[in-house]
Amino acid sequence: MNNDRVVSLFMENATKCGAETFRAAGLDEAQRLLDDLLRNAKSIFCPGVGEKERALVIPPEKREEDYREASVCVEEVFGAVAETGSIVCSSEGGRVVQAGLLPPHHVAIVPQERIYETVEDLFALWGQDIPTNVTLETGPSRTADIELTLTIGVHGPERLTIIVAP
Amino acid sequence: MSSSREAITFRANVQKALRDPMLREAIKRATDTFVTKRTEGIASLPMEEWREKASTIRMKVLDNLPQYVEQFCASAERAGAKVYQAVDAESARRTVAGILEDRGVKKVVKAKSMVTEEIHLNPCLQERGIDVLETDLGEYIVQLAAEAPSHILAPAIHKTREQIGKLFAEKLGVDYSDDPTVLTRVARNVLRTEFLTADAGITGANFAVADTGSLVIFTNEGNGRMVTTVPRLHVAVLTIEKLLPSVTDLPSFVRLLPRSATGQMLSSYVSVITGPRKPGDFTGADELHIVLLDNGRWEILKGEYREILKCIRCSACLNVCPVYRAIGGHAYDSTYPGPMGIVLTALLEGMERAHPVLDATTLCGACVDACPVKVPLVRLLCRLREASVEEGFAPLLEKRGMSAYGAVVSSPVMFAFGQTLARIFWPFAQKLSGYGPMSRIPRPVARAFRRRML
Ligand code: SF4
Repeated sequence: MNNDRVVSLFMENATKCGAETFRAAGLDEAQRLLDDLLRNAKSIFCPGVGEKERALVIPPEKREEDYREASVCVEEVFGAVAETGSIVCSSEGGRVVQAGLLPPHHVAIVPQERIYETVEDLFALWGQDIPTNVTLETGPSRTADIELTLTIGVHGPERLTIIVAP
Repeated sequence: MSSSREAITFRANVQKALRDPMLREAIKRATDTFVTKRTEGIASLPMEEWREKASTIRMKVLDNLPQYVEQFCASAERAGAKVYQAVDAESARRTVAGILEDRGVKKVVKAKSMVTEEIHLNPCLQERGIDVLETDLGEYIVQLAAEAPSHILAPAIHKTREQIGKLFAEKLGVDYSDDPTVLTRVARNVLRTEFLTADAGITGANFAVADTGSLVIFTNEGNGRMVTTVPRLHVAVLTIEKLLPSVTDLPSFVRLLPRSATGQMLSSYVSVITGPRKPGDFTGADELHIVLLDNGRWEILKGEYREILKCIRCSACLNVCPVYRAIGGHAYDSTYPGPMGIVLTALLEGMERAHPVLDATTLCGACVDACPVKVPLVRLLCRLREASVEEGFAPLLEKRGMSAYGAVVSSPVMFAFGQTLARIFWPFAQKLSGYGPMSRIPRPVARAFRRRML
């Protein structure tokens, strides 16, 4: 499969699992999407570690350093898996994997070239040298524990937004 | 669950369950939903191929378990975890309590784990003055109500929203609501504070990987991730058969487990945790302790029922089982209900206690067809029934009846006489029994097959 088809498959599956997905042609467009998304955000945590995170502008007055207090977490994640529609968060490079878990809204910037077709392709990257924490995140947090009624946003985010960017 | 050796009062439990229309409705709705979702979820997928592969991997684990256990311990220690091997429930409880007490832990948050139910960990920790909070919404509800889970994946399916609303109002002092969204929000808020203030997290694991020493945890709510990343101490309790040889075997189970369980393509979160936080890391607990528990598994592994250890606890066999669907989980009076539960209960708790639940199957084979790792449940159940008769656990009436039947059918004269009697008495038996089971016995033919052949 060429990269374009892998990206579309990923977006299709992620949408099926309840994520909102966008594809940006470049960082400018990613910034515009982000501005729209963050217009009503109260407080935003962004680690500012990844290349794309550093290139994007987060309104300084809304920045929150403690992810436990933030209403939105904006971060560049490790990658994604097309087959399952999952984004992949990894602890490599000092990333705080749980930062995307606590705030009610998780905005994940996915580097387009790191969308893998299958789960096998993903794990093959590390072999036995796997980071401390690798988490596949597929759609928002959910439960059906009360009379099997699907309810979104239990302990994790109730909203997952994915922006695929080159 | 009682830990006595007394036989499970299965018949009485069933009577009770069948007389509870709300329970029956709840269980029916839940199992129907799971079955439909699963059927939709696996349509047009090469399931047979996947099942074969997964079954082969699980057999490989069982055939080489000592080697994988050793390898797992070494790789987990290399990754910085501390591994303890516990032979039984008692030693596992002592180990966990010791780890927590040594570090002055007062409050523990837990993610759903059947193994800790199996070893009754919560009461043991509570006795020592440690607060234990279940964080899976279903488990939390069941814990608040001081009940036992009734399904291995959806522990509170036996409760209605009204009951849960009342429970929350009473125990948490919130306004009554029967809206699942509102109730979920209440639990989220209460538990959020607990996550942030807990001293330790306890989890099970869906799988453990021998070559990397990783633990793999699937959750939908995100509590598994909370418990393993927010508190500074993480204690994982798992049994030896949870091992997989390699991280390259994971994809098969990532595909099969959620689909077989809830029909989802994938659970919301799958975390692969390899050791505690290392220098330069900002994710994970500072300390990771892994308690690897035997609790009867080595014994099972040596015997003729070993294939039950392939089970990955997906609960597909519960949802399709006509008996489970009618009576729900509590009637089994065991940590593990449903077809796989009967087998495990008999092996882990002994025939003396478990023989009455061997009746809880129609041997229809729906469980075998649904099982993602091809556990031959019907064969295991039949063999256990034989063993229970051999060990003398058949009821007296059944024993007498069977020997009488044996005597009759081994003599042609007696057999013919029996057929004649059956023809004569059939109409009376019909009248007497009304709508009971007798009324379903077909009318004996006027001229028996044997006679027609003579
Ligand atoms: S026996 Fe098979 S179907 Fe039943 S819970 Fe285990 S893996 Fe699932």
